[in-house]
Amino acid sequence: MMATSIIKPAVPVLLKEIESGSQFFKQGASLRVTGMLHAYSEDTAVAVIADANISFKINTVHLRDLSFRFGSYYQFIGELHILPEDVAILQARVGRIVDGLDPNLYNQSLQLRRQFESELVNS
Amino acid sequence: MNWFQAIHVKLLASDFLSLTVHNPPNNDPTFFRRGMQVWRLETVGVVVSKDRTGDFLKFVVDDGTGCIPCIIDLTDRSHLGLAAEVETERVLREAATVELGKLVRVRGKITQGEEGGLQLKVRDVGVEDDPNMEPLHWMDCIRLARSCYDRAAHP
Repeated sequence: MMATSIIKPAVPVLLKEIESGSQFFKQGASLRVTGMLHAYSEDTAVAVIADANISFKINTVHLRDLSFRFGSYYQFIGELHILPEDVAILQARVGRIVDGLDPNLYNQSLQLRRQFESELVNS
Repeated sequence: MNWFQAIHVKLLASDFLSLTVHNPPNNDPTFFRRGMQVWRLETVGVVVSKDRTGDFLKFVVDDGTGCIPCIIDLTDRSHLGLAAEVETERVLREAATVELGKLVRVRGKITQGEEGGLQLKVRDVGVEDDPNMEPLHWMDCIRLARSCYDRAAHP
């Protein structure tokens, strides 16, 4: 008997991987994104994060107890909402500041982990 | 004795959630990873849900490969003596640090929840302030799987 979890995990992705045509670009996909805070509007609760010259919008209306500091690195977990003309925004469920995260360690570990996961699936 | 009974194995959540469960009649369920029996788990991930009901704190940890339900027993056992009082105090303090969005390291016993799904009965939990602890944990899981756990099942 195999047991399964009911709640879907948020797949960590790089901002450049969220674009029309990519496997991650699906309505309602649970994603975890990382980037530096470039903009934040208190009126709309929309934050803009950027990584490697790609920027991405986050709807933070449901988040509590998170301060928004320009220049800090953030990680958000939530669902992808695709609007007309393939514009996308993440409806965040949780967010955290990840200042101090080594981007090379994170990116390389993520690639190695994906490789390991596909080996597990194929074995 | 199987040494792994005392060890909190480090597995990615997807690996943990794929464990095979054996339900022998009149006995507690047992859990296997590719033929190797496991009893305890250590995981690192983000708290994505938290729910306090009565004497139990239930929370879910998402490491990006899967979501692991965790449960902490907050029953006050101080009346049983000093050791139990100290233990209750420790558990309550640790449980108070579990907040939505925090990166936590959880160690616990692998059990089956009410609906038959896998869950962790928490032994200890702590917030990881250094965000690098998470990718380092992923690397530990991969290294241990390849060099240790895969071999333990088939020496």
